[in-house]
Amino acid sequence: MAPERKGSLPAAVLTDAHFWVPVVVLVLGTALLLVLR
Amino acid sequence: MQAAARASTASLHRVGVACGLAAGAWLGGAEAPVKLVTAGFSPFIISLGMVAGVFVARWTLPMALKGTSYVWQDLKEKPHLAVWAVLAGTLWAVANTLTVFAVRDVGLSVAFPLWNINSLVGLFWGWLLFNELRGSGAGERAKVLGGAAAIVAGACLLAYATEQHSAAAPHRATLGILAALSAGLLWGTMYVPYRKAYLSGMNPLSFVTVFTFGELGTTLALAAVYHRGFAPLAAELAKARPAFFWLFLGGFCWVLGDLFQQYAAKYIGIGRGIPLSNTNQLWGLAWGALVFGELAGLHWTARSLVIAGSLVMIAGAVAIGFAEARGGEQLARRKAVERECRRYGLNLERVEAALEGADPPAAGQPRRHWWEALVVLAAIGVFVYLAANARRQPIEFHAAWMAVLAAASLAVLVACGLLLWKRTRFS
Repeated sequence: MAPERKGSLPAAVLTDAHFWVPVVVLVLGTALLLVLR
Repeated sequence: MQAAARASTASLHRVGVACGLAAGAWLGGAEAPVKLVTAGFSPFIISLGMVAGVFVARWTLPMALKGTSYVWQDLKEKPHLAVWAVLAGTLWAVANTLTVFAVRDVGLSVAFPLWNINSLVGLFWGWLLFNELRGSGAGERAKVLGGAAAIVAGACLLAYATEQHSAAAPHRATLGILAALSAGLLWGTMYVPYRKAYLSGMNPLSFVTVFTFGELGTTLALAAVYHRGFAPLAAELAKARPAFFWLFLGGFCWVLGDLFQQYAAKYIGIGRGIPLSNTNQLWGLAWGALVFGELAGLHWTARSLVIAGSLVMIAGAVAIGFAEARGGEQLARRKAVERECRRYGLNLERVEAALEGADPPAAGQPRRHWWEALVVLAAIGVFVYLAANARRQPIEFHAAWMAVLAAASLAVLVACGLLLWKRTRFS
């Protein structure tokens, strides 16, 4: 049996600290691309 | 019972190591078709052409191997991973574009070692976020850390010995170095979604099916930005049409390598799998030196560096190959899996089964559709059409060595594919 997920799917993703690691790195990388352009 | 579990873990470790090494062979070999056509096209057109080929292959291979019902069921069981897969594809595309600027501003010999830190970044995230190497003995830790460092060092030596030093304008150097380091950071961080998916028991074939949307969408958007709109981009693409077969072929080889890399990340983690697949530099060197004669004019000191770099890299791969994750590390890994199951409501038994090489989504015998064969035929048709219109630059190559390396790559593909099929059924 799978355990009950706490809250909605988007909430589970958005409150997952792991999720923000690639997001922050992606934002920084994209900002650098804009500078290089 | 304990002996059986130990044997099972050992056989999965062997599968993961074999996948990492096979990834190196095919990611390295993917550079060969592209070498035939790179002259005269912008790097964005080359990237877009390859990624378009990648897109075709990423949809066709999972469909041929597992079928759409299987992939769909796997995605439905872990719907949160769709956003992770798109995020990983986007990270790849932005990192790839950063390397274009890095090479422009500081040259490949400086840029390559800097972005090659991606495996160390992946190793760090694997340790920090997913408990990799936690609970392992000092010997295993030393083999993985030392092996990864040796592979990076070997790659740096090869890049230094084989590339021409660029005369980059000094004022661009800082930005170029920053771009190369950032590409390494982005690629290393891209492995976070990989590991996230595989600790949730996802099949790599399902993951790459979604990953490719982020990859192609972002590459297309960036190419349009740098060509100042879609109309100029379309005009450039039309000019590059005779080169598209080679770019698609490179993309197809790249997908095979990437799939092996994904399986390595699943079965031995990113800390071990990614450094092993970064041995692609050795294969790229073999293609460049033996088929395209790129080392012909090198001084003996540079040749010595090439030999030293290759040996250091091989030693690193051997060290990681013998660094099997045992009891303590397996327990730490299980804690990371339990975290994912609690947060996203996943079935722990099914996830553990998938991580042990079983194939839970296949248990329900998902239906195969007749039109899946049509999609595969359509993809083959795209390659045949592009081949009919293909033209290559007049570049000299050694046909016998090309045959030898192609045969060796195919042998690796068949051997590793069979191993993976027998142990995991491509789970």
